[in-house]
Amino acid sequence: MAERILKRPLYIIVGLLSAAVIVLLLFWKPTVVVYGVQRAGLYAGIALPMALILGIVHIVNLAHGEFMITAAYITYFLCNSFGMSPFAALVPVVIVMFLLGMLIFKFTIKHTLKAPELNQLILTFGLAMVLTQGLNLIATSQPRKISLDFVTSSATVGETTFGTYGFIYDLAAVLILAGLLFFLRKTKFGKAAVAVGQNPRGARIIGIDVNKIYILVFSLAIALTGIMGVLFLTSQSIFPLAGGSYTMKSFCLVAMAGMGSLPGIVFASIGLGIAESFIMSFQGYGGWSNIVFFALIIIVILIKSFKGKR
Amino acid sequence: MLEINGIDCYYGKLHVLRNLSFKIGDEAVGLFGPNGAGKTTLINAIISLIKPAAGDIIFDGENITTSETHTIAKKGIALVPQERELFPEMTVYENLELGAAFIPHVKNRTAERLEFVYNFFPVLKEREKQHAGTMSGGQQRMLAIGRALMADPKLLILDEPSLGLQPSIVSELFEKLAEMKKHISVLVTEQNVRESLKSVDRGYVLENGEIALEDTAENLKSNPHVIKAYLGI
Ligand SMILES: Nc1ncnc2c1ncn2[C@@H]1O[C@H](COP(=O)(O)OP(=O)(O)OP(=O)(O)O)[C@@H](O)[C@H]1O
Ligand SMILES: [Mg+2]
Repeated sequence: MAERILKRPLYIIVGLLSAAVIVLLLFWKPTVVVYGVQRAGLYAGIALPMALILGIVHIVNLAHGEFMITAAYITYFLCNSFGMSPFAALVPVVIVMFLLGMLIFKFTIKHTLKAPELNQLILTFGLAMVLTQGLNLIATSQPRKISLDFVTSSATVGETTFGTYGFIYDLAAVLILAGLLFFLRKTKFGKAAVAVGQNPRGARIIGIDVNKIYILVFSLAIALTGIMGVLFLTSQSIFPLAGGSYTMKSFCLVAMAGMGSLPGIVFASIGLGIAESFIMSFQGYGGWSNIVFFALIIIVILIKSFKGKR
Repeated sequence: MLEINGIDCYYGKLHVLRNLSFKIGDEAVGLFGPNGAGKTTLINAIISLIKPAAGDIIFDGENITTSETHTIAKKGIALVPQERELFPEMTVYENLELGAAFIPHVKNRTAERLEFVYNFFPVLKEREKQHAGTMSGGQQRMLAIGRALMADPKLLILDEPSLGLQPSIVSELFEKLAEMKKHISVLVTEQNVRESLKSVDRGYVLENGEIALEDTAENLKSNPHVIKAYLGI
């Protein structure tokens, strides 16, 4: 892995350049880097499970962010009804999301696996709408938030003071990445999943139950969005439509990283998080952050396609 | 060992196999026929990659007609597909390892099977760390055969194994098959009828989805139809 990256001069140049930009920023606007990295954790944590589904089940799940928000709502109601702390809700939420993933796979996605890709896109897009409208019906469109005092914790380094709670997303993203890499490279089940991703027919004839892999990988990814949903609720206010932009951003990150590359997601997220937080540091220009986001995506995809043509 | 009773297979409306029956005992059997005759379809039906519309398939006394492909593999049928079906972004070693990992009777004997396969194809050991997708066509064919052998099958099915292999390796392959058939049953389809008749015990000729001819290898060699259509004399 490492040798392969080092062999490509473009990656070295891009890597050095980004490192230089980050160091410069650290002196000029240190909070941009801090909040950018925190944002990156959130994006990466949500995009990693999407990459897992895409790489192995080969489905673009357009309901991805909506699953995350659904988990946030489940957490919200658990906390409100039973006075649970959101972190205690983590376990039941992850289990519920795993089961929800299984049900949805069995009853919907499974039937489009052999259909043209457009059908799969329409199906998952429909799922996104069902989840959003379902949340709207049950919880109304009123934003919800739980207040936790430790969320406002801050630290001061030199002359800059910044919120530290956001680093929890980085912690989550790192744990999810490490967990997934371990699962895919070291466990028998994970190796079977990689085999299925590369050649389902080849996997069948050597004795792998491909349908079982599909359903478990999909449910695992949905359970991971559950973890991110719980964390999301702890620091942000939620409303039914909040998931949509995370679906889009995850999709773009996956495209930037190159289909199926998990570590690539982390680098792409860092670039994106810092770029966004840089724009937002200028008063009144916050609205531009989405434009920057899509401009970056277009640039990366263009560069990649030019490289591909050579 | 394997018994096929009157199966019919369709792709949509295209009737590919017609009321076809055949048998493999403890022996090596060749399956010959022109392009499009239905050889690959028959193999796919055996391992349930397509479901026959009628008839049944018995393996070791057990009806496997409706079993799933992965359970059939676990019961001891290994396939070397015409299209190889390797895992291109995995190394040679990983491909081989997976060949044994999900088969109950060999999953704890990976090292032993690996040694067997490396003995068979030394080039695979040399290329252990190379990605399967970057190997040449012939090397990939050897890897596909190696992966199937990792499963130590009771029945080994090879769909056009000589495709893309250099002649010296082809004859070596058939010598090895002849040796292997002492321990396992073999079903092989081939365009290279001359070579494969040397190593099989019996052969079937499949034409338009029906068995046109069935005989021992010796008799097929002297059969006028086979000579004219397949041995090209
Ligand atoms: N997936 C498919 N869909 C539709 N028709 C198919 C499909 N696969 C095979 N066929 C048709 O079924 C017939 C038998 O094909 P099959 O692949 O079994 O032939 P084969 O004897 O293996 O030929 P070859 O020697 O070229 O490998 C052919 O007419 C082919 O066009
Ligand atoms: Mg064929």
